[in-house]
Amino acid sequence: MNSMTPVGIDLRAKISVKNLKFFYGQNQVLKNINMPLFANKVTALIGPSGCGKSTFLRVLNRMYDLYPRQHAEGEVLLDGENILDPKQDLNLLRARVGMVFQKPTPFPMSIYENIAFGIRLYEKLPKSELDGRVETALKGAALWDEVKQKLNASGLSLSGGQQQRLCIARTVAIKPEVILFDEPCSALDPISTAKVEELIDELKNSYTIAIVTHNMQQAARVSEFAAFMYLGELVEFSGTSQLFTSPEQKQTLNYITGRFG
Amino acid sequence: MSDHTVRAYDKELEDLGRKIAEMGGISEKMLSDAMDALANLDTDLAHTVVATDMRLDLLQRDIEEHAVLTIARRQPMALDLREIIAAIRISGDLERVGDLAKNIAKRAIKLSAEPRFPRALVGLKSMHEAAATLLKDALDAYAQRDPERARIVWSRDVELDALEDSVFRDLLTFMMEDPRNISFCAHLLFISKNIERIGDHSTNIAETVVYLVTGESMPTDRPKGSSTISSAPQPTI
Repeated sequence: MNSMTPVGIDLRAKISVKNLKFFYGQNQVLKNINMPLFANKVTALIGPSGCGKSTFLRVLNRMYDLYPRQHAEGEVLLDGENILDPKQDLNLLRARVGMVFQKPTPFPMSIYENIAFGIRLYEKLPKSELDGRVETALKGAALWDEVKQKLNASGLSLSGGQQQRLCIARTVAIKPEVILFDEPCSALDPISTAKVEELIDELKNSYTIAIVTHNMQQAARVSEFAAFMYLGELVEFSGTSQLFTSPEQKQTLNYITGRFG
Repeated sequence: MSDHTVRAYDKELEDLGRKIAEMGGISEKMLSDAMDALANLDTDLAHTVVATDMRLDLLQRDIEEHAVLTIARRQPMALDLREIIAAIRISGDLERVGDLAKNIAKRAIKLSAEPRFPRALVGLKSMHEAAATLLKDALDAYAQRDPERARIVWSRDVELDALEDSVFRDLLTFMMEDPRNISFCAHLLFISKNIERIGDHSTNIAETVVYLVTGESMPTDRPKGSSTISSAPQPTI
């Protein structure tokens, strides 16, 4: 790391990825990835389609376990514990490491239930307390003012941008430690995008965030650290200002300036 | 550097570079014409210099608009962004070089009505040569994207500063020798200052070239000649 890497007083790796390899059947799609996700920082993952960034994200909460014939090697240490350990409780892991997807995926139920549903899976709370948690989550996702009058309306009745923030609220409601965003704004208009970005800025005070995005300017705006991946390899990891102004690797420069291929 | 996937983007950046080159050529010519007009008291040539400045101003405005549009359209990153920022900065410097040359030409017009005093022009000629070399080398460094060449320009401005000091002392002496020289020499003092400023703009361009190619800024403390201007003997009136 060089002088342009932002160094916080408490730069602590919430997640440390060590020698991570990932396979779809025989096909190796991640090749020996080593990188940290620093606590309370936003780390952006960029790279062309198929470079492995979404796969990388899916390893961090073992989403891949839902599919057959996929496996990971190496270590992913969350607060020092290897989450790739077969004994890892996956429900607990996914509560600690939440995920927001490219397309908003609200459940076909009320706005209130969209949030309460997840909380009930992990905790038994009296109604009044549950109400409070739903409100806090919706406020945390900057959606409360827009939906407080219609909590019983269907989550699907909201606009795309609101639906995405509902999904973020749902993720935040179960108090995760890490939030993974997989192209959270690619289906949103510029105003909704701005709201989600504003939200990410707020969320990093409480959570560790990783975001995959194809929008280079977005990566430059929201993140403190950035990783450029290509063909399953981590080409460069550094402070965002460094990566987007004077990257060390030629491949990174070609990609961010639109000279690829 | 390989090409952009979007070819129109390459063309936009090339256009910027070409317009800077054109501005560079015009400002160099303006400076040498202004100095020729001064040496030969050629008012026609001086008027041409004054008129040419308009072209430089228009080009600068054109570059700025072009640069702003490219930023809005392409959201440039890294090297490309520096390319555009460099074009904006350098066009600003060259526009100022043009203004300074125009000012020299205007003074040449005024001086054509004054009694001649050729001895006073010798030092200015050396200053002009030094400044023209700095400007040319800075523009070449830009054209070739050569930070080493730019660094040399940056470190050599000190020579021009030293020449300015000696011209200042000479002119002061001439003025003290004979009060009838004062008007002529006072104009020349301003001209020497103008030439010295052109050297400064050349070093600015050189700094921009280093930034453009490497992404690094030059140190803020550029080597300066020990200025005797402030400590020169003050004429008693």
